[in-house]
Amino acid sequence: MRTITFSIVLVALFAFSITFFGQVSTPSPGIGIPLGPLVSGTDFSGSYRWLNHQDAGLFTAAGDIADWGGIPLNDAARLYALSWPASRQTVKQQQCMGYVPPYTWMSPGNHRIWEERDPATQRLVAIHYWGQIAQVDRTIYMDGRPHPPAYAPHTFPGFSTGKFEENILTITTTHIKRGWIRANGVPQSDAATVTEHLIRHGDVVTVFSVVNDPVYLSEPMSKTSIVVRQAIAPDAWLYACDDSEQILGRKNDYVPSHLFGQNPFAREYAEKNKLSLLGAFGGRETIYPEFLGAVKDTAAAEAAAKAKMLPSGPQQNSRAPDPTPNDGNIHVFHVTGSVYLLAGDGANIAVQVGAQGAIVVDTGAGKLSEKVIPEIAKLSTKPIQFIVNTSFHSDHVGGNKKLQAVGADPSLTGSFFSNQFADAGQGATILGQQNVQTRMQEQKPPMEAPPSDTYLEDRRRKYHNEEAVEIFPMPNAITDGDSVVHFRRSDVIVTGDIFTTTQYPFIDLKNGGSLQGEIRALNFILDRTVYRNDEDGGTLIIPGHGRVTNEWEVAEYRDMLVIIRDRVQAMLKNGASLEQVKAARPTADFDPRFGATTGPWTTDAFIEAVYVSLKNPPRSAN
Amino acid sequence: MKRSGLVVLIVLILSIKGHAQGRGGAQGGRPPTPKAGAPFDMTGYWVSIVTEDWRWRMFPNKGDYGGIPLNPEGRRTADAWDPAKDEAAGEQCKSYGAPSIMRVPGRLQITWQDDQTLKIETDAGRQIRLFRFAAEGSKGGDLQGLSRAEWELNGPGLGFAIAGGGVRGGGSLKVTTTNVRPGYLRRNGVPYSANAKMTEYFDLVKETNGDTYLVLTSTVEDPTYLAQPWITAVHFKKQADASGWNPTACVVR
Repeated sequence: MRTITFSIVLVALFAFSITFFGQVSTPSPGIGIPLGPLVSGTDFSGSYRWLNHQDAGLFTAAGDIADWGGIPLNDAARLYALSWPASRQTVKQQQCMGYVPPYTWMSPGNHRIWEERDPATQRLVAIHYWGQIAQVDRTIYMDGRPHPPAYAPHTFPGFSTGKFEENILTITTTHIKRGWIRANGVPQSDAATVTEHLIRHGDVVTVFSVVNDPVYLSEPMSKTSIVVRQAIAPDAWLYACDDSEQILGRKNDYVPSHLFGQNPFAREYAEKNKLSLLGAFGGRETIYPEFLGAVKDTAAAEAAAKAKMLPSGPQQNSRAPDPTPNDGNIHVFHVTGSVYLLAGDGANIAVQVGAQGAIVVDTGAGKLSEKVIPEIAKLSTKPIQFIVNTSFHSDHVGGNKKLQAVGADPSLTGSFFSNQFADAGQGATILGQQNVQTRMQEQKPPMEAPPSDTYLEDRRRKYHNEEAVEIFPMPNAITDGDSVVHFRRSDVIVTGDIFTTTQYPFIDLKNGGSLQGEIRALNFILDRTVYRNDEDGGTLIIPGHGRVTNEWEVAEYRDMLVIIRDRVQAMLKNGASLEQVKAARPTADFDPRFGATTGPWTTDAFIEAVYVSLKNPPRSAN
Repeated sequence: MKRSGLVVLIVLILSIKGHAQGRGGAQGGRPPTPKAGAPFDMTGYWVSIVTEDWRWRMFPNKGDYGGIPLNPEGRRTADAWDPAKDEAAGEQCKSYGAPSIMRVPGRLQITWQDDQTLKIETDAGRQIRLFRFAAEGSKGGDLQGLSRAEWELNGPGLGFAIAGGGVRGGGSLKVTTTNVRPGYLRRNGVPYSANAKMTEYFDLVKETNGDTYLVLTSTVEDPTYLAQPWITAVHFKKQADASGWNPTACVVR
């Protein structure tokens, strides 16, 4: 008994000492495995439903066209929204678009929150969220882990970390896909970061969110939503989406949109609700009390609203951060399966590894090849066996010579070719569409290490490292020698500059590029991709520049090009000159995401490429 | 020995709880005043950010009571609203009462009137709300009614706890308002009655960029006109000064 009592005293003293010193120390990330907080703070576990006592009728997938009052959207976002018809949702890849935070909270289905605790320590590892609508599967990590690098894929729920700030759960989310601020056309860009503060009072949880979107908001959008805890858990948790709806006969380069200034429904909401059109169009001024005074002069307000229907002001540069690391180092990212991304030396480098030698798709600018080579060596004990060039552009082939030199192609050594070429198999074999070789050799001086193994129209295929690998030539897209590479078991497509997340496509008219070929190539990629769930996951894409994606971003890119094409085409039909087309700013709604007023590939240069492509279509477009 | 050990344990656990009470805890004297014991500072100027219920707050129209769970009597009364009659009767402020004023776009100035009373002044409609922490004071009966306030500090909960006992610091301001003169939930004649009771929670949120917000969650219960409690939230952004403070008279439409 004495022993028991003594033990109790010890336990109590221990508890006291913990209190005295304030808290049990939690190892910080980087020192060891983060353990998360010992106490969780407010417990949010339970089933919830969104309460429509405010913002009635504005739940997800709802809202009238031009019901944007109270959203601090910028001019580009408004133009985007005015161009958006609800019929856009009939486009295959738009049918199962997911929902992004914080908009998810306004979905009318059921919401569930539960904790994940380490079974041994009972420390809080994560808080999970499941939203019935769009089947949002979200994890909020509470263990102090860092957010992924900028070149990692985005998802609709994004990547979330959380911490308790007194009685409030604060969630920080990055890596979110382009989604909706409101699903009546107001976009939230993939550059947005979101902070959500969950405040619980009894069964009522107020979600106070702040969206920072440098692309489509002129100031952070703060907002509350309310969800109410349900005493009895409902049984409806699924909302299966399948993009099987088809409109027969529709071409895959058709994307519904309104031309600037021609949305027939732009006034409908304001007129129906007897409110100022200027207010209905939203903008930062509409969220402040002063706005009521600003619309007292109805004639001036009407004129201001009309002006907002068309692009105005100077061209905008992209405000989305470039995810490419530019620190003089090579950054390696495991994409999935046997495929890795090496970022940091110009264009993205993809590496497939296995029991055989590595396949490298593109070799970067060549400025950091000495760092690229050891990174590949860490991934593969075998030498580089094949190099595939997706283009002849120098940022894709700059490392050819050095990477080839450290490689070897044992499939040639001792083969028929050994009799013909003394160096057969010495060094990696470089593959590319024939025009890559031609263009590299045409340069003055000729570019080093052009492809020696070339192809023309048909796909090249290899079964390498236990994986089917297909190389598809894409005629007249960025150039006349582009290729995309599909690693089929890993299910990763490397697109070269046909798709980037950083700029408008660099359509190289002088070297055989065209808008038509570019759109066709994007559609080709989309014909090979499969998403896992509501446009997330599945086939992953390594773009020529920028971050890893899946099909969603490719589809968005395709849609953007089709919309811009249709605008320029409409102007061409009216006899517009190139200068008139540029002045009309047909890319205005996309410029804060992809535009550039300086540098090697400006918005004006892109518009010119579109204009010339449409005026003088390449033969392959017919 | 057994008894003495248990006594030690109890004393120590009590000491843990005592340490854990955190800010506002009395240091052996009288409990602090509500002003001194406030878990956060609400004073200053705040501007309403109208991103919720924008249409209804900025441009309310008669008969547009979307979102409010009115009962049939509430709908009938809202549909019968005659703004001209209010104007003629000098009742311009009926939509500026406690259950609605915080949703009217405008600015707040929050100060401590005294150690027991938090004062909220609005520039829209020039209203004054007094949150009384002490039992004595107004009986209500006017537009702003009687508002009883209390700090809801984050406690340790009922479970066994170590490492601070789950105490997280901070808390919320809870305000319960009753005895209001009948008025409108929106500036379009949607009614509330003298039976209305409103419970409000004020929480402070700080963003990493330095922006500070006051988040207000409120529940209005009114058996006369509502079929169920009306639960909403609004928020205000802290201002560095009185910029934009623009006292204006009540307007009916």
